[in-house]
Amino acid sequence: MRLKSRPDTPDIVVSEETQIKPYTMNFGPQHPAMHGAMRLVLEMKGEIVERADPHIGLLHRGTEKLIEHKTYTQAMPYFDRLDYVAPMNQEHAFALAIEKLLGITAPMRAQYIRVMFCEIGRILNHILNVTTFALDIGAITTSSWGFEEREKGMEFYERVSGARMHANYFRPGGVACDLPEGLTNDVLQWCEDLPEFLGDLETLLTDNRIFKQRTVDIGIISAEDAQDRGFSGPMLRASGLAWDLRKSQPYDVYEEMDFDIPIGKTGDCYARYLVRMAEMYESIKIIKQAIEKMPDGLVRVNDYKITPPPRTEIKNSMEAMIHHFKLFSEGYHVPEGETYTTVEAPKGEFGVYLVSDGTNKPYRCHIRAPGFAHLQALDHMSKGHILADIVAIIGSMDIVFGEIDR
Amino acid sequence: MPDESLLDLAEYISEKLEKHVISHEFIHGELIINANAENIVQVLQFLRDARECTFTTLCDICGVDYFGKPIRFEIVYSLLSLRQNIRARVKIAVNEGQIVPSVTDLFSSALWYEREAWDMYGVLFSGNPDLRRILTDYGFEGYPLRKDFPLTGHVELRYDEEQRRVVYEPVHLTQDYRDFDFLSPWEGMTDVQLAGNDKNEHQQHGYRGVKEELPEEQEEGEEHHASEE
Amino acid sequence: MGRDKKIIEAPPYGYEKDIDPLSPAIKQNVVPAAISKTLNEKGILLTSADKLFDWARTGSMWPMTFSLSCCAIEMMHAYMSRYDLDRFGITPKPSPRQSDVLIVAGTLTNKMAPALRRIYDQMPEPKWVISMGSCANSGGLYHYSYSVVRGCDRIVPVDIYIPGCPPTAEALIYGLMQLKKKIQREDTRLAR
Repeated sequence: MRLKSRPDTPDIVVSEETQIKPYTMNFGPQHPAMHGAMRLVLEMKGEIVERADPHIGLLHRGTEKLIEHKTYTQAMPYFDRLDYVAPMNQEHAFALAIEKLLGITAPMRAQYIRVMFCEIGRILNHILNVTTFALDIGAITTSSWGFEEREKGMEFYERVSGARMHANYFRPGGVACDLPEGLTNDVLQWCEDLPEFLGDLETLLTDNRIFKQRTVDIGIISAEDAQDRGFSGPMLRASGLAWDLRKSQPYDVYEEMDFDIPIGKTGDCYARYLVRMAEMYESIKIIKQAIEKMPDGLVRVNDYKITPPPRTEIKNSMEAMIHHFKLFSEGYHVPEGETYTTVEAPKGEFGVYLVSDGTNKPYRCHIRAPGFAHLQALDHMSKGHILADIVAIIGSMDIVFGEIDR
Repeated sequence: MPDESLLDLAEYISEKLEKHVISHEFIHGELIINANAENIVQVLQFLRDARECTFTTLCDICGVDYFGKPIRFEIVYSLLSLRQNIRARVKIAVNEGQIVPSVTDLFSSALWYEREAWDMYGVLFSGNPDLRRILTDYGFEGYPLRKDFPLTGHVELRYDEEQRRVVYEPVHLTQDYRDFDFLSPWEGMTDVQLAGNDKNEHQQHGYRGVKEELPEEQEEGEEHHASEE
Repeated sequence: MGRDKKIIEAPPYGYEKDIDPLSPAIKQNVVPAAISKTLNEKGILLTSADKLFDWARTGSMWPMTFSLSCCAIEMMHAYMSRYDLDRFGITPKPSPRQSDVLIVAGTLTNKMAPALRRIYDQMPEPKWVISMGSCANSGGLYHYSYSVVRGCDRIVPVDIYIPGCPPTAEALIYGLMQLKKKIQREDTRLAR
């Protein structure tokens, strides 16, 4: 066997007895390029990966078991901490599931507010994903720029709920409280300034030779394969399938929003990056429409058996006081039933399978995280690639261990 | 009310899979098919391949523990058809120790979901190429999401200076989990058997710490408020 | 009401008198204040090598990024453009062998605990640990769970606890400044 290294050097002759054994390597539980805590056991032949076996569970906190022991109001913060880069989208799924079981709908203003914050969350997520993907590949500037935009987005979260990240803002029946004055103007201003930033990002990354070499034709997955493996969200759309839950199974006021769905052609990492960039422009469109069309009115269902009464009423009326007490001690009882509710989270299809037995605590709450199915396919996607490509594939899959390990 | 196409589809499926499907129902507009555990592979294969119902995506497999029912566990397969834009759920009832055939040959995404069901509930899947624990710790004993597994588990971890490694010890909490049971008529009196109430078995929710000693007035006060509603 | 309403006047606050209107935090900086005072008066500084090394160490604390969950995002925000930590000399280091502070950011689970201890053992002396967020302090929202370590101080000795869920990036900076002062006070020179 002759291995030719360069044209002017002598050939290296490898005799028949020398074999290249597969080498098992551990890719951290802790690694700077790892998006959290995962242990990836790689069997490598030289530089090429033969098999990748992700060991997850390093962030398994027992969320589902804990939710079974808490009331519905107390269980809501757990959903914030699942996909912690766009927290409100997860709360949305839980709120919709409970609303389905209770048989209520949120008022129109609440639905518009929810849609607006969902899209803000989508932009936050995609900024983080694209910039840290570039960071893993080696482009450091983009993350500094991107995180400033994220700070502005998190500022909106803080103004409306009090917390920069884990907002606990979406509740069954609507949202916790109304938008403060001036917030919509500031959001509009942010939306005006975002395209310039996105343009800068594109200038740096989209036509960059090195970026393209690292991402084009890496981690290709075909449309049938993607369906078979349970992919959803930008991963599915990059392979050519036009499937977006906001368009096909719309919830809240997405039916009234006018936006497009970007679809990729090749199904590789570069296509996913382009899909996410384009989705950010679409999200800006949706936010502007939501602010324009937002009606005035209630932000939470007017039923005091589910919504706590306003504080002024608590000081005046006995029933309001009792409702408040009962709501925060015992919580509302949800009628028996089960539902599997999904939303189009920025990472894919986030689903909540909620079983209720008529009491004030959920009987079973299973969380279907998009990253779980995506990470499962890592072994298939990384066959024949080199180690550096694994980093690119994981980065483009948008993996966050909060939702995978729960 | 579920729409016409879904009703028709449900009828069609029940007709074609008479032997395997026990029943179907609609809860909140969602189609649920109850099937036999032994024939789950045929059911899912039909659902995936038949022209009328092209459920090509397996979204989710999860288990539910109905502690107290005759057949204890239920495995729920959530399916999605992109072409027809419909969702369906297939549920099978599984006893403790019963082995379920794996659907990994049909849907590649089933691999990790079945591993998770095994890890959390202890339901074995035959034919799964890689059935080992996925989420829990490396030497974990027990199946966490079962209703009789305590919330805080059996062991906890700390680092031991002398042995220079982490050691597992039985759980010792400084403050026990305060579990308020709102279903019993006398809150706090959860271990007292009221006369004439012999059949009232408590649904075990998990770890119960030291019993809360609520003062008598508080119980009466709450009772009073509850009756006012 | 009929009661004699006496208007109680608050005692004059600090800056009404002839005191420099500085915020309290700056007054905490005893060490730099003493150093600059000596330098201004005498022109030379006499100190022990230990104190000099401490000063150099706190001027460039290099944390190891041990990011586990949500607190990691706030930690990343602290390093980035708005709350820049690099201006304090704090740059993230991916390798434990080249760092001196370990910031445990996120929930520590039973499965991850041996890895954390290993990383801590790989760090060279002197080293300090900051526990960031309530999950790292005590288990936090997941305290009663079966697979969570109730506080990372069961595994590594902790110097500073930063509360919050997640602590804002500003809170993390405050915590790092507190660690700096703790080191300068020689409060951490324990037998390690």
